Amino acid sequence: MRSLIRVELTRLRWRRAVLLLLVASVVVPAVIAVAMIWDTRPPSADELTRIDELVAQERESPVVQEQLQDCLDHPENWGFDQSTTDLQTQCEESTLPQPEWFGSYTPLDLREQLQYGDGLGVVTVLTLLLMLAGTTFVGHDWVSGSMSNQLLFEPRRGRIWAAKALVVTLVSLVVSVVVSSAYWLTLWLVARSRDLGSSSDLLGDCLEFGLRGALFATAAALAGFALTMLFRSTVATIGVLFALSVGGGLLIALLGLDGQWQPGPNLEAIVKNGTTYWDYDTERKLSALHGVVYYGVLVVGTAVASVISFGRRDVP
Amino acid sequence: MTDLVIETSGLRKEFISRRSKRVAVQSLDLAVPAGGVHGFLGPNGSGKTTTIRMLLGLARATRGEMRLFGQPVPQQLPDVIGRVGAVVESPKFSPNFSGRQNLQLLARSIGVPDSRVSTAVETVGLTGRDRDRYKSYSLGMKQRLAIAATLLKEPSLLILDEPTNGLDPAGIREIRDTIRTLGESGVTVLLSSHILAEVQQVCTSATIIGNGRLLASGTVDELLGDGTSYRVAVPDAEAAASALTAAGLVSASDPAGGLRVETDDPAAITRTLAGAGIWLSELTPLRPDLETFFLQLTAGDNLGTSGQEEVR
Repeated sequence: MRSLIRVELTRLRWRRAVLLLLVASVVVPAVIAVAMIWDTRPPSADELTRIDELVAQERESPVVQEQLQDCLDHPENWGFDQSTTDLQTQCEESTLPQPEWFGSYTPLDLREQLQYGDGLGVVTVLTLLLMLAGTTFVGHDWVSGSMSNQLLFEPRRGRIWAAKALVVTLVSLVVSVVVSSAYWLTLWLVARSRDLGSSSDLLGDCLEFGLRGALFATAAALAGFALTMLFRSTVATIGVLFALSVGGGLLIALLGLDGQWQPGPNLEAIVKNGTTYWDYDTERKLSALHGVVYYGVLVVGTAVASVISFGRRDVP
Repeated sequence: MTDLVIETSGLRKEFISRRSKRVAVQSLDLAVPAGGVHGFLGPNGSGKTTTIRMLLGLARATRGEMRLFGQPVPQQLPDVIGRVGAVVESPKFSPNFSGRQNLQLLARSIGVPDSRVSTAVETVGLTGRDRDRYKSYSLGMKQRLAIAATLLKEPSLLILDEPTNGLDPAGIREIRDTIRTLGESGVTVLLSSHILAEVQQVCTSATIIGNGRLLASGTVDELLGDGTSYRVAVPDAEAAASALTAAGLVSASDPAGGLRVETDDPAAITRTLAGAGIWLSELTPLRPDLETFFLQLTAGDNLGTSGQEEVR
């Protein structure tokens, strides 16, 4: 079994499409993190000076001055009247450019990030890319027909399935844990460097979020692999996943089932350790356990069907 | 009693779809003795590949028993697969890996050192191209790589399904010589082919199937018989025919010219004609080839089109 696992690791390492997907799994979250850090950076002294200069310049522009004059001459057009006290100040505030117009700044709030930020987006990206990696890895064996060649050397199909599944799971787990942890650790370090909230409890919450997301993405990669072993085609698997993602939610809504059966809230429940969803006008709680059971049944069901199918069906 | 390397008994394979049930192999009893090259003959679609795929665990038999080296398969296949090298249908490797990488993955899966990969590559004449991507190979090179893969195990049984497909004449001859050498070295080779002339050149025994059924089996000599017919070329065929008939020999005019004489004793022909003062210029034994035998055997059958049974 060890030699089989080593062989599958080598096969994965030599498969360029899989490597590209793994690289994308690192690069895309990194880009998201960089964008987040950039967008939340406090303005520097240089930027503040530049903004002040820009404001002064804009205030002197003829258009702005015309507007100011118009406000003073016809205050009713600007929501004021002649009796308004301190009309000069009111009109200046309404018409003259303000510094915040040129340098809006939202500080990096990790608590908010955990609840509403891009963390869920990173989990979604990892999930999609690792699922594709699991699918592509084994889909190639079926498309090229090399699966039958492998079975001529190791006819115990269960071992072949297990070795490939183990490699997909291990690689996905390592990549997703490293990427998620690096993502949150980076944000936490940045928050600390900016003297924003950076307690060890907060770091723990961030890493827990990342770990939950990583486990979810790993399970998705395993499901993608199992589904491809079932359908024996990358294209068929992607087609089914696309149909499920589009049609699944629609079908659940058409059947009148409430939000607890939708994929999105269940994913949120897993990574956020519980969430809420709206049942008409009532907000209801959804536990992490519910999410785990929801997706667990899908993953285990797919894996069992995949193992049985691979063990029994003729291999082309 | 001869040891049998491959045995099947009552083997049957059905492919069932919604509309029909196709019987690819039915009640096939196959016995391949150890050593030598055994031809497995039949037209396209006669069930050869399906039988091989069942023996190798790639397809499940609907019914029947199979044994490799006396071990029941697929139950004990893991115990004997290390002694079996096989090329089934067209070669199947990862197109983006080099030939060497493909072989390395297969070798490492059974703990074979990379040095044997080099040996196998050298044996099939792929040295120098083994680091090129598989998808850049010609069909002939792909066949060679597939044969190299079978050699990784140093097999006692080699199952080759149409191994010369796509090879040029020189390649065909090379593979044929390799097969013959392997057969002589003690490896049992099961050579599946529908090119009967090819099989006749290298095989010591053969099994012929059609429509998934066994039609004939035995050594090539047994299948073709001893050859009891001779073509005789003489200046006066009419006089020769009269002399032969008078001596109790059955003769008829041969489409290729001269006479065709049926006898177990060719000396009787020369003796009779010499006694009549007729000097023959040619006496050629007419031995049926496998192709002729096969066509005679299957005359009237709609072979090559697999059995269809409508589901009722």
